[in-house]
Amino acid sequence: MTPAATLVDDPPPPEATPAAAGHRAGSQFALWRGFLIRRLGGAAANVVLLVLLTFFIVQLIPGDPATAIAGDNATLEQVETVRHELGLDQPILAQLGHYLAGVAHGDFGQSFRYHLPATQIVRNAAPYTLSIAALAVVLVLVLGVGTGVVVGIATRGDRNRWLDRAFTWITSLVQSIPPYLQATLLVLVFAVWLSLFPPAYTLAYGFWESAVLPVAALSIGGIASVARIVRRETGVVQEMDFMRTARGWRLPPLVRYAKHLLPNILTTALTLAGIILTSMLGSALIVETVFAWPGLGSTVIQAIAVDKDYPVIQAAVFFIGFISILITLAIDTVLGIIDPRTLGTGHG
Amino acid sequence: MADATPDTKRRFAWNGTLICGLVMGAIILLTGLIAPFFLTEPATALGGGSSLGSVPGHPLGTDSLGRDMLARTLVATRLTVVMALGATAIAGAAGIALGIAVWLAPRKVRELGLRGIEFAVSYPTLLVAIMVAAILGKGTVTVVIAIGVANTAGFARLTANLAAGLSQRDYVTTARLIGVPRVRLATRHILPNMAEPMLILVAQAFAGALVEISGLSFVGLGSQSPSFDYGTLLRDALGKLMINPVLVVGPAMALVFASLAALFIGDGLAAAANPRSIGKRGRLRRVGQVPDAASEPPVLTATGVTVRHAATGRVLVEDVSFEIARGEILGIVGESGSGKSLTAAVVSRLVPEGIEAEATRLALGRTDLLGRVSQRELATRIGLVYQDPGTSLNPALTLGSQFGDVLTHHRGLSRKQARQVLVDGFAAVLLPDPAGRLRQHPHELSGGMKQRAMIASAMSTQPDLLIADEPTTALDVTVQREVLAIIKRLNRQAGTAVLFISHDIGVVRRLCDRVLVMREGRVVERIADPAAMTPDNVTHPYTAQLLAATPTVAIGGRAAAPAGGTAAAQAAAEVAP
Repeated sequence: MTPAATLVDDPPPPEATPAAAGHRAGSQFALWRGFLIRRLGGAAANVVLLVLLTFFIVQLIPGDPATAIAGDNATLEQVETVRHELGLDQPILAQLGHYLAGVAHGDFGQSFRYHLPATQIVRNAAPYTLSIAALAVVLVLVLGVGTGVVVGIATRGDRNRWLDRAFTWITSLVQSIPPYLQATLLVLVFAVWLSLFPPAYTLAYGFWESAVLPVAALSIGGIASVARIVRRETGVVQEMDFMRTARGWRLPPLVRYAKHLLPNILTTALTLAGIILTSMLGSALIVETVFAWPGLGSTVIQAIAVDKDYPVIQAAVFFIGFISILITLAIDTVLGIIDPRTLGTGHG
Repeated sequence: MADATPDTKRRFAWNGTLICGLVMGAIILLTGLIAPFFLTEPATALGGGSSLGSVPGHPLGTDSLGRDMLARTLVATRLTVVMALGATAIAGAAGIALGIAVWLAPRKVRELGLRGIEFAVSYPTLLVAIMVAAILGKGTVTVVIAIGVANTAGFARLTANLAAGLSQRDYVTTARLIGVPRVRLATRHILPNMAEPMLILVAQAFAGALVEISGLSFVGLGSQSPSFDYGTLLRDALGKLMINPVLVVGPAMALVFASLAALFIGDGLAAAANPRSIGKRGRLRRVGQVPDAASEPPVLTATGVTVRHAATGRVLVEDVSFEIARGEILGIVGESGSGKSLTAAVVSRLVPEGIEAEATRLALGRTDLLGRVSQRELATRIGLVYQDPGTSLNPALTLGSQFGDVLTHHRGLSRKQARQVLVDGFAAVLLPDPAGRLRQHPHELSGGMKQRAMIASAMSTQPDLLIADEPTTALDVTVQREVLAIIKRLNRQAGTAVLFISHDIGVVRRLCDRVLVMREGRVVERIADPAAMTPDNVTHPYTAQLLAATPTVAIGGRAAAPAGGTAAAQAAAEVAP
């Protein structure tokens, strides 16, 4: 459509209000405050939900939980002992109240097997899991995003087809080997054949030396996943109009990619990375078993599969869930800093 | 540019990855179907040589009870696949239902539901699975339910997100506006359009379920002796890793093969849904020789610009020549696909991917654009304004940050000086609160403000040539007028030459000093006095058609077919400082 009248001199812009500047600074602050309140509130709600979920782990056991936990060969007396220890002989609301009061003090009850507070068992195991998980996270983010961006730029359009092929094949292969299998293969190659690293956690070796293979097993798959996502996203973002604008400004490649491209990839990449990171926490639970790594995974799986040690299960599940809530919160906050558009939205 | 990608139609493109994945998937299904009928005997019979390595008759060794690992692996396929399929089915059915239910729910419930889904997704799948396993105890059915439940949130989230995204689409908005009920909206417009991404997620979820279920069996939570799946076999093999490493081979290969198949199918589906355009780096080269220009060359000389599609060799622009003098506004008008935007792209040396361009002469003043030109010179002497200010600005950076780069990198200004230049520029295009705008992100401005900011940025380097490619097309009519007036004023004040691309001959007529009419890559008419053109005095019938198709102004009942001249003259008079 053609403007239906002649050109007039610049009409006064409708948005012109003198108070705009001050109002905007205020709204930015309000946006962040709203964001933080919403996020912290959400995280708190999630923690409450988590406490309830862990409470119901015992309650939802089909049949009579006490009988199931005590095992098939238990005497009636033993069943009753279990029932009493777990407080299952009380009305459910009383149990819940008791459970909540305990959790508020960091008390999940006594471990059946070790006769120690469950919290203490989790506290002893946590550093082992968190240290390898944190190392793996750093590796995944640095190497995954780095590789993804570089390959994405190098294969723009149809350039470097060989790289495209090689990248796709290698990442597909790596991704299709589950972490626990990678762990097994790593043990086979680096511990059994090459004897470079210990096959399992032992005090004979240093902590970090023992940690090499678990960290590798945890991070390799994540690196491949993140690299693929970032690479695809790089391809998409490169073709966007604003990247053409940046090319029009003839900015040096480093500025163009690091400043104009990267933030736009990070939004998507971090959103997905959040999922990958929490799933790595899950993988850690299984990978630990391969290395007899004395972390939360070995603890919780031993507690479920062998000991039916419910206080430990509840404490460990709560702790792992709590950590993943923290990770989500941290990622949302970083996203808000990188891309303020996400501040106003309800979720990621 | 707008004309460069005419083919955006999507169709299903079969590809090697997908076929490979489907073949592998078929092999797995067949194995799962057939193997237990023939191989159950060697897989479970005791009494052969126990803990053998790779020997004839037992290529993958035997376990501690003397059972053949190859047979065990093949037989285990059925249980493994059935478990993974079961878990995927549970997750898919429950997740899609939940996602749609959440989307259909009233606002309050929807918000709460979305929160709940986010909460569930933020949990590690395996943690959820372990919770379920803790409740139900270990076993085959337990892990299927556990993994199914754990993956439900992923499907629910994708469904809710897709539904939310699709409901923003124009056709859904339209349907809603004409009163289509929400449930019908979901079944007619939302769900059918989810098929593609959903299929991809199904493939991924299956791969995930396979790996996770095997993982749970691997740590002893899944299938229990005497039944066995890949995970239990792997668990047995891990125990013997030091003594008999060959036992790992069977279950490891099978697991990788199966999850590779699912991955290929997922990737293949994704690639089939969105085939990548094949493009090579754009190229620009010189053909032939023309004598150097006169002593006082025009701002821009373009001679014999020809553009081809690199892959097909199709000619998109053929032998286009023009000059723009200082202070002049040259318009190029034509329908979309006529090659006008490509011409502008070539002139600014931003040849798009997959395009080959050539020219006999392309010069910016005395600078030969076909030779080596410093990025600095290109950046500072050519200002660019694009069609859609909504997408042409970087959403992640503040205006000050992105507009400042060109000034700090190419004009050697400090950040502070650059800010000042931009503040002045913003003021010149009448943006309210110029200093405050610099701290804002593009999404905080209206379309018209963004385009004005864009023009200010393009002018901030004091270019000799401003190339405006459909700068008003994405804007509404009143905003168009502001933007046109600003371009005209800057042109008059600074003497900047302007190359103005538009499909709208009415706009071009009133703004430009001279006009080229392009059609199918060729210049069909050159109009020296656009103000005076009428359907009767132009030579090419296409120009006459364009003019006749332009609604003309009728003010005060005056029939205004030939009114262009008056209007433009009026505009010039009003715009002149």
